[in-house]
Amino acid sequence: MIIAERRPLSEILKNIEAYERIMVLGCRGCVAICSAGGDREVAILAEALRLGREKKGKPVQVLEETFIRQCDPEYLEPLKDIKDKVEAVVSLACGVGVNLIADLYPDIRVYPGVDTTFYGANLSLGEWVEKCRGCGDCIIDLTAGLCPIARCAKNLLNGPCGGSQRGRCEVKAEMPCIWHEIVERLTKRGELERLLEIWTAKDWRPAGGDGLRTRFREDLLDS
Amino acid sequence: MENSFKIAILCCNYTNLAEREDLADIVARIEVKRYPCSGKIEITDILRAFREGAKGVMVAGCARGTCHNLRGSDRAERRVVGARATLKELEIEPERVEMFFVSRLDAGDFAEKAKEFYRRILKLELKERTQ
Amino acid sequence: MEVKSYLQQGLENGRFIVTAEIGPPKSADGELIKKKARLLKGYVDAVNITDCQTAIVRLSSLASAVLVMSEGLEPVLQMTCRDRNRIGIQADLLGASALGIRNLLCLTGDHPKFGNHPQAKPVFDLDSIQLLNLVKGLKSGRFDNGEAIKGALPYFFVGAAENPFAEPYDFRPYRLAKKIKAGAQFIQTQIIYNVDRFRSFMERCRELGLLDQVYILAGITPPKSLAMAKYMKDNVPGLEVPDEIIKRLSSAKDKKEEGIQIAVDIIQQVREIPGVKGVHIMAIEWEEAVPEIVKRAGLDTAPSSFEVTPPFVVEKVVEKIVEKPVEVVVEKVVEKIVEKPVEVIVEKFLEKEIPWEEEMAGERIPLGTLIEVLSDLKASLKNIKSGMESLEEGLAKLEEEFLGRREHRPVVREVPKKREEITPPKEPSLREAPTVEVKPFEEERREVSEEVVSIKEETPLERPEEKKLEVKEEIKPEVKEEAKPELKEEVKVEEVSKPLIEAPKIEEVSRPVSELLIAGFKGDYRPLSERAKKIPQDLYIDKATGLIKEVIIGKGDRALKCGNASAINFHHFEGEIRNGIKIAMEILDIKPDDWPESLSKYFVEVYHDPALWAKKCVEVYGAEAICLYLAGTDPNSLDLPADHAKKVAEKVASAVDVPLIIWGSGNAEKDTEVLREVADVVGPKGALIGPVVEANHRTLSAVAMGYNIPVIASSPIDVNLAKQLNILLENMGLGLDKIIMDPSVGALGYGIEYTYSVMERIRLAALYAQDAKLQVPFICSIGKEVWKTKEVSLPSDDYMGEAEARGILMEALTGVCLALAGGDLLIMRHPKAVELCKLLFNSLSMS
Repeated sequence: MIIAERRPLSEILKNIEAYERIMVLGCRGCVAICSAGGDREVAILAEALRLGREKKGKPVQVLEETFIRQCDPEYLEPLKDIKDKVEAVVSLACGVGVNLIADLYPDIRVYPGVDTTFYGANLSLGEWVEKCRGCGDCIIDLTAGLCPIARCAKNLLNGPCGGSQRGRCEVKAEMPCIWHEIVERLTKRGELERLLEIWTAKDWRPAGGDGLRTRFREDLLDS
Repeated sequence: MENSFKIAILCCNYTNLAEREDLADIVARIEVKRYPCSGKIEITDILRAFREGAKGVMVAGCARGTCHNLRGSDRAERRVVGARATLKELEIEPERVEMFFVSRLDAGDFAEKAKEFYRRILKLELKERTQ
Repeated sequence: MEVKSYLQQGLENGRFIVTAEIGPPKSADGELIKKKARLLKGYVDAVNITDCQTAIVRLSSLASAVLVMSEGLEPVLQMTCRDRNRIGIQADLLGASALGIRNLLCLTGDHPKFGNHPQAKPVFDLDSIQLLNLVKGLKSGRFDNGEAIKGALPYFFVGAAENPFAEPYDFRPYRLAKKIKAGAQFIQTQIIYNVDRFRSFMERCRELGLLDQVYILAGITPPKSLAMAKYMKDNVPGLEVPDEIIKRLSSAKDKKEEGIQIAVDIIQQVREIPGVKGVHIMAIEWEEAVPEIVKRAGLDTAPSSFEVTPPFVVEKVVEKIVEKPVEVVVEKVVEKIVEKPVEVIVEKFLEKEIPWEEEMAGERIPLGTLIEVLSDLKASLKNIKSGMESLEEGLAKLEEEFLGRREHRPVVREVPKKREEITPPKEPSLREAPTVEVKPFEEERREVSEEVVSIKEETPLERPEEKKLEVKEEIKPEVKEEAKPELKEEVKVEEVSKPLIEAPKIEEVSRPVSELLIAGFKGDYRPLSERAKKIPQDLYIDKATGLIKEVIIGKGDRALKCGNASAINFHHFEGEIRNGIKIAMEILDIKPDDWPESLSKYFVEVYHDPALWAKKCVEVYGAEAICLYLAGTDPNSLDLPADHAKKVAEKVASAVDVPLIIWGSGNAEKDTEVLREVADVVGPKGALIGPVVEANHRTLSAVAMGYNIPVIASSPIDVNLAKQLNILLENMGLGLDKIIMDPSVGALGYGIEYTYSVMERIRLAALYAQDAKLQVPFICSIGKEVWKTKEVSLPSDDYMGEAEARGILMEALTGVCLALAGGDLLIMRHPKAVELCKLLFNSLSMS
């Protein structure tokens, strides 16, 4: 899922400084699962903003709302009526949601309530780790399912660097050296020869090097 | 007129608080909010207590390992951690909220702890008011 | 233009090669580079120019290489992938070649995290192997995209690095093979201290046939101090420093001298290893040591035979800079440098034998270092004055220069982190630790569980099922007689519930009352002491310290004694349970209108007269107490006056001689009035009255005290409220031995678990936490709850089974559950459910 993290309250408070009526808008998608922008976080942020503003002697009215998703135009439709009710919206969706609101509702002043951080897995309660970088050209079929693009600090493609020791990454010692793991696994599987081939420079266009990434599916498109 | 110095106690249904006379030294309005379980107390509830005028918030739950719902008070403790982080961001002293583990059957030293907490909040208030 | 470098020629000619390293300054001071070059010239074949090593911004390696060339020394241009994408890299390589740089070392580069701009976006468009591959392409006339290079092609003698000491060790030779395949012609290794591991690495490379394809230059670093060696040993991944080295340094008087000697020794050792074609000496911040090492190691170089011709001259520009930054004190020294060959000065300096320790204490600073420090860090002479500070800085520099670990390394943590298994605390009620018991008696239990209890019909079954037949054979028509002798097996709740659930197989919808029979238990009873003899008692016995008070209801021989227990119900092995569990049967003051057929059929003929009803309960069903529920007085129902209740109570009291329990409507106000009246007639008989709640406790406690009768203290499923009410009653003057607690109960499927846990906690508090205010018995009004549930009124069908059995089981199971939770006095309605409960309680009460 997409992992996000609430932005500092001081930033959000600064963004909404001029307003007296705002809405905190959550999303029940990824950000809810990673405890950054679901109903509970909406309630906390709304309460924190009220408290923060009251402390400054400038109370703010905060509506709370959470949509099923913010990355689909249809779910955003209720926003049509919102623009007259509030002066600004703080969206707790990932950057996708904030952008889509900005695209579809130019009259709404929308501010990001979270920093969108990475695509990760939830290892345990309160712990998320990046597993994919969305590079658009999956290579993990060759690396025993472990992604060196996302999980190697230098996104090396030809094996571990000289800093790998005791299976740890030299850049982040709390993380495993993913290349160490790849080598170990392929050795166990007797497929190490895969790594002996030179992996030539990666084409980074699918990773976004080619400009805005889009996707079309003929069979689903209207008309 | 009501005493404007308010301390909120958010606690579970089972929390055995001290008797009123034990807390007589605390010259503050004490507002007790009971929840089915302290694990049900959300960060939002703590923040709201502040917004509703509390100068300090005591979150009380069952002593560790004795929670009726097993881990409710542990959860409450974490919520306090979360609330403290939020308060800090709002430049409100995080020590204005604290978790108290109180035995279900015996309030024990709760009164003492409460008094200590009260003195701390009082100090913070005096500091703030002199500034 | 293919002009082979001096380095390449030397290697091809089989000469043992020496390369060294120059780190460009963190300033635009080109002269410093030239000075370092002059220091090394004549001792080394070529010198590596680092490319912003450890990701710290420095004068660029390309420009530095040109400056080095201007001093007649051949550079090895280091090129990393950290800061440039393939466009930038190719552009710089074309430029480097045009400037006459002929040696290239391809590296991935240290991560920006280790440098002084950790905020920078790391590029890593390529890795070192891809870079080698790219250079190979350029040399052959192709850009990385495959496009042909029109015009002059770049030429480089291409090298790479390899670390034999990084894990996974086994993979390193293969990685080397990859680098060779990608175009590496020479390799400079990581610093070698562990010669044995290096030797085996080389051996493996030889086996793979790599040594014929590449020149290997062994990495050498003289340890400048003991601290540095220790630091490298403990903090640098991929760098092994054997204890022997540490020992040598720590026992040496002159650490620097020993450091140089260590380097010399290692050079001599690695030189013997087949495939080692030279050494790469990385004297970190200690370039002046290189000539000494080279000389002592007897490495023969021929620098004069080679003239590096820079494409343009920078000397004039540099000269202007030379004098200015150097302060007065140093001026003489600088002059000397200009006058004489550098190496002479260094030699002199070495000859003087300045004690290194003293130097480190800051009293005297060696010339080379002084020059460097002055020009590199013009303003920071202060730092060098303090010995410790100097040492620390040296270490830090060492770190950043070479190892890139300037910050504290985080504690290594296992990832992926294993989720901790959450083991819920042991349920306090399971003091007996039943699992301990199970094993040795498994067989016996199995046998029992099939036979324990069942509700049977006597009429022949139309569609008999296997199990039913089995059971039928074992159950004799005279239930009670059979039950008693056979009731010897200890029974557990789970055992009981199994056959009970099977019971509703009975398919016929209506049948005479008498056909539902309660069977007994079979099997031989063995006392716990025997069954558990292999288990130490302290494993399952946890004796309580509190005592549940005894409350007496009624008077005379038939008085009902409740409580008086120092153990949890059925835990006879832990304490005294003197009175056991009592069951009162419930009657109403009016004709009940919501009792289902399966229950009312037992009492329908006595509904009109509560006295007869009570009599039937006592005489036919053996009730040991009667609970008169004054349902008719409920303001929400018939709202009959207190007077009515009084009359009914009087009749009942005179009809039976068992103790009475008078249960009001539950409306606090009305009960005050009703119970006060009723107490007039039942008080003298010692009846139990209630429910007393907080709202009416004052009046009713006064009434109870007036007749010295016990009361039911009723609170809404909460430990604290229960306790509080007891305290209130006690404060009114009522003794705790006159209180029975009604915790408010729920029926099976209707909140029984909540009831259970609250009761259990109250009981544990009473027995184990000596909470005196809770040391009173429980009364559980089960009938009211069970017989208002939806399930007891549903007709018989295939899905829900037989209606009456269902009702009986619901009531009995509720009773069993609450008895296990601590219930001392149960109020029940269905005679069969009462019978079943008694059967179970008696069985469970065997110790």
